[in-house]
Order: sequence, then structure tokens, then C-alpha cells
Amino acid sequence: MADQTFRLPDLGEGLTDAQLVAWRVEEGGRVEVNTPLCEVETAKAVVVIPSPWAGTIQKLHARPGESVAVGEPLVTITAAEAAQAEATPGTLVGYGPGAPESGIRRKARSAPAAAESSGDVRAAPFVRQLAKDMGLDLAQVTGSGPGGRITRADVEAAASSPAAAPSTSIDGERRISVVGIRKAIAKQMLRSVSTIPQFTEFAVFDASKLMAAREEGKASGRSMTPLPYFIAAVVKAVRAYPLMNSSWDESRDEIIVKQPVNVGIAVNTSQGLLVPVLRDAEQLELTAIAEKSALLIEGARAGTLPPNQMSGGTITVTNVGASGPVETGTPIINPPECCVVAFGAIKPRPMVVQGQVVARSGAWISISVDHRIVDGALATEFLTALVFELESISA
Amino acid sequence: MADVVRVVAADDPLRDLFSPAGELTAEGRSRLGLDAAALRELYRNMVLIRRADQEALNLQRQGELGLWGQFLGQEAIHVGAIAALRTTDWVFPSYREFGMAMIRGVDPADMLTMFRGLSHGPWDPRKYHFAPLAIPVATQVPHAVGFALGCRLKHSDEVVLSTFGDGATSEGDWHEAMNFAGVFKAPVVFLCQNNGWAISVPLSRQTAGSIADRARGYGFPGIRIDGNDVLGVYAAVMAAADRARQGEGPCLIEAVTYRMGAHTSSDDPTRYRTESELEAWNAKDPIARYRAWLEQQGTIDEGTVAAIADAAESAAQAMRARLTAMPTPPPGEAIFGRVYSNPPEPFLREREEFESSLEGS
Repeated sequence: MADQTFRLPDLGEGLTDAQLVAWRVEEGGRVEVNTPLCEVETAKAVVVIPSPWAGTIQKLHARPGESVAVGEPLVTITAAEAAQAEATPGTLVGYGPGAPESGIRRKARSAPAAAESSGDVRAAPFVRQLAKDMGLDLAQVTGSGPGGRITRADVEAAASSPAAAPSTSIDGERRISVVGIRKAIAKQMLRSVSTIPQFTEFAVFDASKLMAAREEGKASGRSMTPLPYFIAAVVKAVRAYPLMNSSWDESRDEIIVKQPVNVGIAVNTSQGLLVPVLRDAEQLELTAIAEKSALLIEGARAGTLPPNQMSGGTITVTNVGASGPVETGTPIINPPECCVVAFGAIKPRPMVVQGQVVARSGAWISISVDHRIVDGALATEFLTALVFELESISA
Repeated sequence: MADVVRVVAADDPLRDLFSPAGELTAEGRSRLGLDAAALRELYRNMVLIRRADQEALNLQRQGELGLWGQFLGQEAIHVGAIAALRTTDWVFPSYREFGMAMIRGVDPADMLTMFRGLSHGPWDPRKYHFAPLAIPVATQVPHAVGFALGCRLKHSDEVVLSTFGDGATSEGDWHEAMNFAGVFKAPVVFLCQNNGWAISVPLSRQTAGSIADRARGYGFPGIRIDGNDVLGVYAAVMAAADRARQGEGPCLIEAVTYRMGAHTSSDDPTRYRTESELEAWNAKDPIARYRAWLEQQGTIDEGTVAAIADAAESAAQAMRARLTAMPTPPPGEAIFGRVYSNPPEPFLREREEFESSLEGS
């Protein structure tokens, strides 16, 4: 068994580094040749790096959010014995000049008497401009490039040296670089609140019948969470109010009413909030909704869903306070959708039945809708229909 | 395909093969003369080149190649066009025609040496009748026309296939070549792989009107076809090559397809195109479509499909193994080695200086 370290290649013609977005493997896990290892974001693109070798993951050398320089270790893999012979790294080409394993080393030229006076500074025009913009005197910067040339990295390093502008910590602040899912959520949420005038309505529903149906299902061997019932009820209510399943087309001043009901399911994962999409939910029976949504949620948590299973939603369901004291909240629409439905936890509550206060299972529902498309009256009708569906569930 | 529209002209040699929408008709299909084995071979070749293309991208992501330009989604054009030609016919490709070269018999690992920095021209063009890949846009088009005129001067019956993308049609070189070919009736087939994007520039910002229609202005027929239909591409190239061979001059085929991948491994298409556009084209995938048709005809069964997938997998692994085992040539040889047959003195001095500036190798 031999350990081999895979170093970050230059993934895009002249890049110097990349930011690690997410690992797709864990230490101790097994990989084959071409098993996806991780996603990295370069200055040019987000790309998936497949494993060059088969074996066991020995060590992951970087954490999500960290920047890795081209040529630095990314992952160490213990080669599978059978694959050991062919797994010997050959000459890697994608590392640019000067990387440790390029196989060609430049002979040190006559000592780089770098930048002795500002009149003799060696730097490319854009680096000079950068230094000027940052108010740096290039004569004070040591060049690390060929022949003592000052590179962009040298200027940036000099600019962020303690005297200038510390970027990682100042007076107890900590800076967290935003990448991957966090960045995507930020963009989507900003788009929602800055482009969609949205309002929220609340209701409480009686979940007795839903719980009875669940009990009956459990007795006949199919346990189900409340989620499939919620989705089925939303689909039925949407059929009665198709405008809730629509998009506002900014460019043409039109409302696009969607035929299939593709239900986005907000899932809290270790990476952040993901929204896998249950397609054509209007064509699915309750058990199919249960099976497919369970697979989607599992896939979202494992990070194995392809992008096309996390896009194309027409309405989203989410939950608030699945356990604990929180009852409900104001969900934010997932653009370009028109409506998001949030379900609270089902628990015993005092309800008035035939003039008497009795304890019954119930939960809060809140919906946020796009006011460009839907007015309060229609939202109320939709929410009423949704409550009606949930309260008429039969086992 | 509703988005493929063409103008059928009276002198269009392909008039009888295609519907006005650019689709191969049942009548056209029956005239192809392909037996079951030949039909399966087209499928096999598409699967082989797609798998090799994916492996090349993997190799780039693993630092084994400096750059890679995928042709994912364009397999029907690669396979249909080469199958329609004689092996003596010449091909002058752009940089995305790896699949065409592979079907012509060029070893895929040899081809990749160009993207690994090991060679400048990895095969002998005269052996495969396949010119080197042209990286600058449209430079190969005038070469193809000149070579085609040369074929005629030699009284050979070879014809030349000139392939390029939609972006190339905006280049001056392209116009000059088209004009020359029209005036002198060069035995050349112009095949445009209109994949919708010139890097990040969509066709709508690149070309007004239709590319196929431009042929009329140069005095020869142009046709727009469904580039994701391997049999349609085969039929069109076959008919155009026959016409050229008979001395009737060139033809422009605009094969409408879609670049499912990035422009190259350095590009991120999610920055400029939508998921829904990709999904729409995914539904027209040339391999899935052709396989469905073969299954419907009873020409292929599951066992054959699985065997072809296995063969493609092994071929991809063999390509990886052969490529990564190749020795790196000494840098001096790689750069200076094949420039002059009798190198002049200053050139030799330059080589020496270069080599002495390196340590180890």
C-alpha cells in the first residue's frame, strides 16, 4: 500500500489557486478512478474534481471555504494494491511552470536583484496599476516571480500585511468566506426579498384526521411522516387555485401559470438549506409522494443529488419548528415561484369543538405569496382550501 | 424539430431526402442503404466517442491534460459525417473534432498528447487523410478549399470535408473560402456544427438570419438539418459528397445541435446560459434518440447495448493508461525538433541556449 498525494492542478489555463467548495468523500472512504472527490471554485468556474486513483482516502488537506494554491496537496489516497502499479503519478501537465512536480526545474538565473530602486521595479502593467490603486509603493514590495518580478499575489500580500488591512481578524471579529451553498442561498434570498413584494398569512388546522390516517398506516405497516400528507394537500389546493403555481415574468409583464406541480422541499442539511424538487407531484399517489420525497431528502442530506433535481420547482414547502416551542414563521418565497408554504409542528392544542375547549392535534400553516400575482382575498381562499384538505384526510 | 427550418431550393441536391423542417424522411432513410450491422456501428461509434470525451475531461480535472474542449451532444455529427465519407476523402477539422479523428482510426491517446503538451501534431495527416486540429477559428476552411482544388488538379476523386462551428462563420477567412469554393466549384463539403454558442456568445448575437442561407450568395446550395439525427447527418454529407465528387461543386450543411458541455475546461457555461435551455436539448440527446429508434426497429437489444457500453469503458481506460504512461520528450526536442529538416545555424544556437537554461528534465 502506498500513499499518494494528489495536488491541485491548474484547472483553467493559468490559474494560481482555487477555493474548496465541498468534499464529496470522507477520510477512510473508498474511491475508484473518476469518483468525484470535491468541488472547487476557481476564478473561472466551479468544477468537480474526479479521483485520479483508486484506493482509500487517507487525508483531506483542506476544508470547505479554504483556498488551495495550485500544486498544494488536496487529498492523500492509499492506493488499492491491485491498482498500485498503474497509480504511480506520471508527469502532470496541469500545474503551470514552477510547480513542485512539473518535472522541469528552471536553473536559477543570475540572482534576482529585485526592485532595488523604484526606477528598476519589474512588474507587469496591470500589477503596477493594481499597486497604484492600492496606494502601494512597488519599491517596497519583494517580487517572487521569475527574475524578481513582482506578481499580483505579491502586491495583494503586501496590501494585506498587518500594517495595511488585515482581512482575517480585527478587534475580535472573525471573517468567514462565503462559498458554495451559503453563497447560493444568499443570492436566491436577496433576489426574493428585493424583487418580490410578498405578504404572509397564517392559519391553524386540526390534524386529528391526519394523525388518525398515520396511525392506521402504521398499523398496516407503512409508517409515514406528516410531510407526504402536507404535499398531497398542497397539490390538491393548488389544483383549485392554479395561480399559486405560477411565476411573474418581469420581462414581458406576464404571469406564467405552470401545468405540472413541482414541489420544492426545503431540507436542512449540514451544508445549509437545500431544496430538492419533487416533479409532477400532481400525478403521484400519496405513497409515491412519500417514497420519492424520502429519497430526495436523503439525497439532499448526503449531497448526492444532481443539480437538475434541485431546480425547476413551481411551489415550495418548508417546515418551522419541527420540535421545541416555535410555532410558525414567515417563509421567504423561492424565486421565481409565487408561493411558499410553511408547516409548524403537530402537537396537542386547545381547540373549541361544539362550544367546548378540547385538546386536539393541530399545527400552524403560514403561506407567503407574490402580491403582484395574488391578492389577499385569493391567498385566504387558497389557505382555507389547504386547511380544508388537511382536515378532510381519510385513512 | 420545430426550431429547424430551411429553405428548399429547386437545385438542392438533398431536396428529396429531407422534409421542409430539416428532418430525414422515411423515404430518405430507406435510400441510405445501411444494413442492421451498419446501423449498430453508428450507435457504437457515438457511445465510444462520448465515453472517450468524458475521460479526457476527467484527465484534465486530474492535471493530466492542460485543456479540454468537450463535444458532448454533437456525437451524431461526428459519427454521421465520417461514416458518409470514403476513407480516402479528406477532413479539415476545427479543434472540437476529436470524435471524427477517433472514428477515422487515429489513436485517441496519441491525439490527447497535443492537449498534454507532448506533441504539436500527433498523427500523420497523409495516413488518415485527416488534417491537424485547427485551434484558431476558421483558419482550416481556406486550407480545405485549397486542398480540394489540389485534389481536382491531381484528377483524384477525393473530396474534402471542412468542419467548423457557428462562430467561424463570422470570420473573414470563412467568407473568402466560401467565395473561392463557389467560384471554382471546389470538391468540398462545408459542414457547420451550429451548436448555438461561440464560447459565451449566443447565435443570436453572432449571426443575423440563417447560416445555411448564406450559401445561396456564394452560388451553391445550403441546407439546414437536424444535427442530432445521425442518419440525417449521414444522408446530407453523403449526398453533398457525391455531388462534389461529380464535379458539381460545394454544398453547405448547417447541422443544428447543441454544445451540452462547456466551451472548454476553462469555461463555466452556467454564467451565461440557463438550465432550462440545457434541459430542452437534453431531451434531444442524439444517442438516446437513436437508441430508442434502433430498439423500436428491433435492430439492437439490451445485450448489445450493454456490450457496447463495456467496450467504451475499456477503451476509455486503455486510453488513460496509454496516455499517462507516455514519456515526456525532452523540452528542446518538443519545441525545436520538427521545425526544419536542415536547421539553420542561429536556430540551432537558440535551441542550445534554451536547453542550457534548463536543469534536469
